[in-house]
Amino acid sequence: MKNALIIGQTNVGKTLFMINFASFLGFKKILLKISYKDGKLLNKEMSIEYAKKYLSSKDQYKTEHLQSIKLSIPVQKGKKEIKIYDSSGLTDGIHPDMKIRESILQTLAFLEDSDIIIHLIDISYFKSIKNGSISEIDKQLITYGKGKNGYILLANKTDLPESHLGIKYLKENFKDILIIPISALYKKGFEEVKKNVSIII
Amino acid sequence: MKSYNKDIYQLYKLGKISLNNTFNEVFINKNKETAESSIEKDESLDDIMNELRKLVGLSNVKKLVEEISAFIEIQEKRENEDLLTEPIVLHMVFKGNPGTGKTTVARLLGKIFKKMGVLDKGHLIEIERADIVGEYIGHTAIKVRQQVKRALGGILFIDEAYSLARGGDKDFGKEAIDALVKSMEDNKNNLILILAGYDREMELFLRTNPGLKSRFPIHVDFNDYTVAELVKIAKIMAQNREYKLTSGAIKKLEEILNNKSDTFNSGNARLVRNIIERSIRKQAVRLKKSNNITKDDLLYIRRIDIVKEDKY
Repeated sequence: MKNALIIGQTNVGKTLFMINFASFLGFKKILLKISYKDGKLLNKEMSIEYAKKYLSSKDQYKTEHLQSIKLSIPVQKGKKEIKIYDSSGLTDGIHPDMKIRESILQTLAFLEDSDIIIHLIDISYFKSIKNGSISEIDKQLITYGKGKNGYILLANKTDLPESHLGIKYLKENFKDILIIPISALYKKGFEEVKKNVSIII
Repeated sequence: MKSYNKDIYQLYKLGKISLNNTFNEVFINKNKETAESSIEKDESLDDIMNELRKLVGLSNVKKLVEEISAFIEIQEKRENEDLLTEPIVLHMVFKGNPGTGKTTVARLLGKIFKKMGVLDKGHLIEIERADIVGEYIGHTAIKVRQQVKRALGGILFIDEAYSLARGGDKDFGKEAIDALVKSMEDNKNNLILILAGYDREMELFLRTNPGLKSRFPIHVDFNDYTVAELVKIAKIMAQNREYKLTSGAIKKLEEILNNKSDTFNSGNARLVRNIIERSIRKQAVRLKKSNNITKDDLLYIRRIDIVKEDKY
């Protein structure tokens, strides 16, 4: 079974994407496995509705630990299982909170051995940045991902206004990588994601 | 690599470096860095050639190496132009007395051939009779194969090679030669064999094995060093150890070498090294006795420090 890691800055919608993607594939319930930093594991079964409420939020750093769910994705005539890991968000520079730095390290350590990297970028974010550029860590992730087989860049939050500027920016600046515009909240663009993930696994 | 990552992660955890630097170190520069460090470690072909040129004497060896390197280069160019090429057979016989630079040159050749792409690794495996001649029937071939395996991609240097033919008809040395010849043919693109030994004995050895002589197209004579060359070597050896020879010391050295020249081990750089190393010890004993030691005292090796032989 291959491991996919959802990665990106904090508050781009990684957890919501994971839950809604499961829902899009027809799951009513998910079995969430949380791996705490001290090595403890916790399994929780919950409905999609509850998971959304319980796991994702508008605040930063809701996800503090690596959590994963198993999904089966249709591949040609059969189905293939894939483990999707949702990670704690990354942030440029040195985060002041040591706990969050530890979470980020957990994410990085996992990045080293994941087969598929699903990189989320919040494209509505552009309007708030003066120089109109994505963050340094996103650029680094793209640089790292370019050389890898299982790398997908998702441009999230297409439902928000001015998101088209963000997509335009990404397509102009990163021509040689695949960019899929999605809305994690409204499950838009998920068909494309499913298609591409099933090619990789 | 993993432990190296751990250090970086620790730095980030403690808030010493930014996530961006951490990410760069672990994920982006990883490949770049290993490539760069290997470049730094590698000497260029010119460096190695210069090292060879710096060796005292050995003018015929230097000429030969220049010739071989030109030959390889041109054969490569011919190949690129789809012209017929000569096979590059570089097995060699080194003939000369002990301490005339055979091993030193072999080691440099390994590096040079690696740079030129003839060999993969260019390392030198130095073996002698005992390493490849077995004690029982069938043992020899296995031993030879082991040594050849170690030397693949580099140079197999057999010192005192004539001793392989020494034992007479029932000796396994002959079996070793046969096995070596076979491995040479099997691995002719990735192994260079160098047979080394005294001039006279090697001639005899090659004459008794006619097949061998033709398989080793390159014969190199390592002439004995002249006294002047040996003195030059002594100076370099002292200099490398941050010592200097006074003119008195040099005269004494010349005297010793001139007296030795009729004996068997005359033009021998190893002899010079022993004399220099001995003189360093003598100087230390001499200085220990005196009370006021200046920097010059520490630096200079004087006439009385140079001793021919020591018996304890």
